Amino acid sequence: MKKKAKHLALAIGMVTGIASYGSAAMAQDCTTKVGAVLPTSVDWGKPIAATAQYVVDLVNEAGGVAGCKIEMVLRDSQVDPKVGVDAAKALVDLDGVQVLLGAVSSGVSMPILTSVTAPAGVMQMSCCSSSTAFTGLAKDGKTKGLWFRTFATSGVQAAVGAMVARDQGYKSIAIMYKNDDWGQDIGKLIAGDFEALGIKVTASVALNDGQASYRAEVTEALKGQPEALYMALYPKEGTAAVREWLSLGGTQNMIVANSLKSDEFRDNVGLKYLGKAIGTDTASPRSQSASAFVDQYTAHFGKAPSGPGLANSYDAAMIALLAMEAAGKGADGAKVASMVSKVTDSSGTPVTADVAGFKKAKEVLAGGGSVFYQGATGNVRFDGNGDVSAPAVTWGFSDAGIKELSFISLTDVDAFIASMK
Amino acid sequence: MIQHLVDGILVGSILSLGAIGLTMAMHMLRFANFSHAELLSIGAYCALVFDGVFKAVYTPLGDVIGPLSLTWALSLAIVISMAITGGSAILIDRLVFARVRAKGGELSMVFASFGVAMIIRNVLGLTFGLKVQLYSQDIVFAMVLSRDPFLLVKPDQIFSLVAALIIMFAFHLVLSRTTFGYSLRAVAENPQLAQVSGINLNRMITLIWIIGGGLAAAAGVFYGLTNQINPVLGRDLLLPIFAATIVGGIGSIYGAALGGFLVGIASNLALLILPSGYSPAMPFLIILAVLIIRPTGLFGEERQ
Repeated sequence: MKKKAKHLALAIGMVTGIASYGSAAMAQDCTTKVGAVLPTSVDWGKPIAATAQYVVDLVNEAGGVAGCKIEMVLRDSQVDPKVGVDAAKALVDLDGVQVLLGAVSSGVSMPILTSVTAPAGVMQMSCCSSSTAFTGLAKDGKTKGLWFRTFATSGVQAAVGAMVARDQGYKSIAIMYKNDDWGQDIGKLIAGDFEALGIKVTASVALNDGQASYRAEVTEALKGQPEALYMALYPKEGTAAVREWLSLGGTQNMIVANSLKSDEFRDNVGLKYLGKAIGTDTASPRSQSASAFVDQYTAHFGKAPSGPGLANSYDAAMIALLAMEAAGKGADGAKVASMVSKVTDSSGTPVTADVAGFKKAKEVLAGGGSVFYQGATGNVRFDGNGDVSAPAVTWGFSDAGIKELSFISLTDVDAFIASMK
Repeated sequence: MIQHLVDGILVGSILSLGAIGLTMAMHMLRFANFSHAELLSIGAYCALVFDGVFKAVYTPLGDVIGPLSLTWALSLAIVISMAITGGSAILIDRLVFARVRAKGGELSMVFASFGVAMIIRNVLGLTFGLKVQLYSQDIVFAMVLSRDPFLLVKPDQIFSLVAALIIMFAFHLVLSRTTFGYSLRAVAENPQLAQVSGINLNRMITLIWIIGGGLAAAAGVFYGLTNQINPVLGRDLLLPIFAATIVGGIGSIYGAALGGFLVGIASNLALLILPSGYSPAMPFLIILAVLIIRPTGLFGEERQ
């Protein structure tokens, strides 16, 4: 009797299960996981992850992707390649994700791409990695078309850094860069740009993570008595190196990459020494969709998006989810990746980057059309290597945080880069 | 050249303090303690906490001493931190190492020490966050010691060097002039024989942990004072400290002190010929060179 009841229950379960398949209620019945490997343990990484989660919430509010709710499984990369690769491996092997968001640092994204996502055929979309090494990898076909990023390559930032040095009239400059994929790349690029503008590079010094002391490296950089210092470092070693630099009598004429856009760095070095520091960053175009993002973000989080990579994180997550919608239920990473061009198609129907936009995109895609995503970083268009270009800003440190100094439009950036060649 | 040499000596003093404790524990307890460097982190954070407490209790303690960025509060905190870190070292021994020692072999101890290191590092990270912290936000400018050859030194570094030398000298007096010192050396020489002669081995082990922990705490604070404090500080210093121990010869306290300076100097001088990107490899190269040329280190004795 008991056994019979069990069978009956099973049968009912099966029938109802099949019945609900294809009904409107199914959005609640299944969950699709997407992975995220982001440095949540550092102050500038948390908001990047929160922004990605926010996009997932918005998309779920719009009815999910391909009839399923999206669950973002977030793992901390600790800005450490080893930790990041472990995290990505766990997401791909254990959670079976087909789409991975992350990482932030090129030095972490690169090993994840080459040893986890590309071999496993998982699409990887980074918000913030800017190394040109990815472009090279994509050209060689090693990314298998699975790699995308919503952050402009280091080429843009290096060019703007050189532009700042020229505008400030610096004649000689020392470079200190982080010894990882991103740092080596930008260090090499900007050295070339400085030379092209006739600015003498007195020293180009690589800084490793977790050194007991940066004294020797800083001494090395000080040697040529440069007029200015360019830094492509992260706040942790940046703080140590700059404090050492200043205490040894180094100049306060500094140009810094966007990675030092951090309150922690400003507080630990001291605002009084950073008055002449000028930062560079790629920026969102001054378009309607970009300001709509700022308003929406401010309304949701209660503060304006000021950290690095927030708009990019928003677009990365949104485009990834749109592509998943276009690819349909149960699509693998390669299928999703192939759909990215369908949702960022300039001849498609423009959709906004919010709940209404996602709903509209669903309709258009269901009807067989393509959409043109109008995102937080503007009309995102990926080239064949998964790269985007971007306008730039220069910024400085202030009491209130980071203040913008000037805006350089995409046309100006492209013209300047072309002028150096 | 001279600048690199001086910098090496300044960094070396911190390594020496760490290496002395490590070499004692390694020799007497017969295992490579990979968690030793974490005691530096405990010391650095402990001093950070008490520095804050003292400043809050009695504000004038927050005044800096002379040209240093060191405050009176921090100097008091160093002493307390040395005691607490010594205590933590004993606690770790009681909780983990003593139990493993009773049952497992040398290799089990090594693995246990890896585990302990990870636990300490992560507990510190969870408690204090992964962010960089500093004892003082002010930047103390370096003094120009000489124009030709150009030589720059930070006052804090000189303080660290002098303090480290004083601590080492005091320890030398203890070793050479007191009964305790003789007992310590006797245990190092031959634990069984020492016990037969009436030396309480367990008591000696406790004292070794206290001294090792105290010296490590001082090294951690000096490191924090001249650089910065973060939870992975111990991990970053682990390799140079091991190199110092091996260069000096495992078990030789004077060797470890000298080894610290040698590793500091070698790492700094290496930058004259090697690109800076390769500098983390220096301690490895030193370890390799010593193991190939003189496996017992400068002052080590062959162990039967």
